[in-house]
Parts: sequence; C-alpha cells; structure tokens
Amino acid sequence: MVEPSLCWTGVAEDALFAAMAAIGFSSISHTPRHAFFVCGFAAAVGHSLRFLIMNGSSLLSGIVVASFIAAFAVGTIAVIFSRIIRVPAEACLFPALLPMIPGMYAYRAIGGLVGCVTTPALGEVNANFILMGYNMLMTMAIVLSLIIGGNAPVFIFKKMSFQATRQSFL
Amino acid sequence: MNDTIYNNVCPGSRLAGFIAEYAAWLWGCGATCERIDKNISRIAGSYGYQVNLSILPGSVTAVISGSDAADHFVACHSPAPCGIDYSVNTALSALSWRICDRNMPLDTAISEFRAATAVRHLNPVVIIVLTSLANASFCRLFGGDAAAMSVVFAATLAGYFVKHSMLCHHIDVRIAFLVSAFVSSVICSGSILQGWSSTPDVALATGVLYLIPGVPYLNAAADLISRNYLCALCRAMDAVVLTAMLSAGLSVGIFVMKVNLPW
Repeated sequence: MVEPSLCWTGVAEDALFAAMAAIGFSSISHTPRHAFFVCGFAAAVGHSLRFLIMNGSSLLSGIVVASFIAAFAVGTIAVIFSRIIRVPAEACLFPALLPMIPGMYAYRAIGGLVGCVTTPALGEVNANFILMGYNMLMTMAIVLSLIIGGNAPVFIFKKMSFQATRQSFL
Repeated sequence: MNDTIYNNVCPGSRLAGFIAEYAAWLWGCGATCERIDKNISRIAGSYGYQVNLSILPGSVTAVISGSDAADHFVACHSPAPCGIDYSVNTALSALSWRICDRNMPLDTAISEFRAATAVRHLNPVVIIVLTSLANASFCRLFGGDAAAMSVVFAATLAGYFVKHSMLCHHIDVRIAFLVSAFVSSVICSGSILQGWSSTPDVALATGVLYLIPGVPYLNAAADLISRNYLCALCRAMDAVVLTAMLSAGLSVGIFVMKVNLPW
C-alpha cells in the first residue's frame, strides 16, 4: 500500500517536474511545438507511475522493474497520441523518457571512478571500486529497462507507429 | 547534392540521388533505421523501384533497381550535419506519405523536400531557458532543494550558452561538450564552496545532465532491436564519446575548484 499523504503531494510534484523536464528536453531535440504537450503528459504519467510503484510494497517496487513498467506506459501514450498529432512516436517518446534517466547513479559511478584513480590508500580504492561498480550496474540496468520498455509499444503497434504522419490515416 | 546536379541526369539517377539525400537527412536528424528504411522503400515504390540502403558513419548509399535488369542506379550522400531534429524527421516522414498517396512527380517531391529541411525552429534563447528550467526540474526530481535548483538553472544557462556559441562557430562537438561540462561544474562547485544548498551532490550531479546524449542512446537501442547492428554501434559509440567528454569536463571542474565531494 502507498501512504496516502506521500502519495498525492509526491505524485503531483513528480508529475509537474517531470513534465517540465520533458518539455525542456523536447525543445533541445526540436520536437514540433504542437507535440510539447504530449511529451509533458507522457513524462508526467510515466514518472509519477514509477514513483507510485516504487513507494508501494509490492514485489515490483524495485527501480529497475518500476522503470520498465513506467517506460512501457510512456511508450504506449506516445504511440497513441502520435496518431492524433501526426508526429513520429519517437518524437514524443524519447524526450518523455529522459526525466527517468538515472542521473544520480551515473554521477556516483563517475565519483567512484575518480576516487579509484586519485586515492593512494588501497582500502579506499576498494570502497570506491565497489561504489563505481554498483552504481554503474544500476545505471545500465535502469537505462536498459527504459529502452526496452519504451521501445516495446513502438514495435508492438508497428503499423500505428509508422503511419502516424500519414494525412489520410485517421 | 543540389537541384542543378539533379536536373542534368536521367530520371533514375535523379531518384537515386534524391533518395540518398533524403536518407542522409533522416539519419542526420536522428530517425531510427527502421523508419529510414520504411520511408525510402515507400518513396522508391511510388516510382516503381526497389531500394537497398547502406548506412556507414561517413556516407549513406542508395541502390535503386527497376523491373529491367539494366535499370540500376547508385547514389551516395554524406549524413546531414543537422543534429537531433524531430521537426525535420516529422516533415520528411509526412513527405514520404504524400509522395506515396498523391503520386507526386519527382520535381515536386524534391522542391517539397527542400522546404521540409528548411523548417523553422524555436528561438535559441527560448531553447536555452526551457533547457535550464528542464534541468532545474531534473534537480528537483532527484531530491534537490530550491537553492540547488537555482544553481542548476544558472549552471545550465551558462553551459548551454557556451555549447551553443561553440557549435555556431563550428568548433568540434566533443570539445564543446567538454568545455560546457567544465563551465557548468565550476558554477555548481562554487555553490558547494559557498554552502548555499543542503543538497550539493544533487546540484553537481544534475548540473551537467542536459549534456547527456539520451536520444542517441535510445536510437542506438531501437536500431539494435531492429537488427541494424552497425548503425546501433555507430550511434552508441558517438554517444559514449560525448558522455566521456562531459565526464572529463565535470571531473576537471571538480579538481580545479578543489571540492570535497559527498559522493
């Protein structure tokens, strides 16, 4: 069960900031302006879904599984809305996935690496190596789950994804 | 390849040249290989040809073949250096469907292609502000406080401005990433030394995240799934090199500022 107080404030905040992040990253990759809303919406749903799963007490509450489920949801939203706004599904999907990139794990992995090559004491090198290894593995596992989960709907609903920009499709 | 060259050759060669340039633009703007393949097959099919495409890091080669055994044409084009651009991707994908559904003459298709690749973008200042807001939001998602968000906003603003300016002056993208990451990390490190934020590690970690080449990584994975291994490897290596450059810039910034890090 998710704690109610944690749930609503946390989910709303998560959704808001994820949407802002996705819209910003959409602008970097020159996503068409009329697709910004879909990017923000998909990111808000995906990130808050991951937040809810991770704050639950089920077997799925690990960040890797939660990321996969959330990415699948983002991919499904992107594929469905790409038909309506006539934009390739990837144009909405990829910016919407970026807020779930495991930046802190990646940062700690770099920290471990820097620690390994700058610390003279062997004991500290071991600790830094474990820090680097753990965080690097977590980063790779989360990114992999995001990639597979996000791309799966594009390949499952292939016809819908690749005909999205066709004017006579609807 | 420009239109003057297209006009001086036979229709089959013109079509091959157009398809090679179209594919080079899609590849350059970050379309997945499956999309490129479907789009060019659709275009070639509309003119009664089949197409085979070969994408290598430095060139895109299209071989089109008609019903006659002698009806083969080859054209090669360099990838368009436009960076990730979903507006162009969208316009070119829509063009392929218009060519197919309306039996569009090749001349019209080429002129519409020119218009599609000249699509207007948001003002760079708006992009810089939106990116800075996005990175500050990222900081909040990772648990940063208001001070950390402000620092990340400023660091992103400065770093992205440096990156944009360097790319406008045609400086190598890897150098641009290194310098931008350095600038952003120096600003974030300065805030740590001043003790402005109670979450300095989050500020430092998210200050350079706007540089992570997330779309190339995702494209590489999509190419891997569609069994375009060479293109996947090419995109992944490009992304790894850029990630290494931003990591180097971040590390140098931390060393220069002599920050004692809370990893």
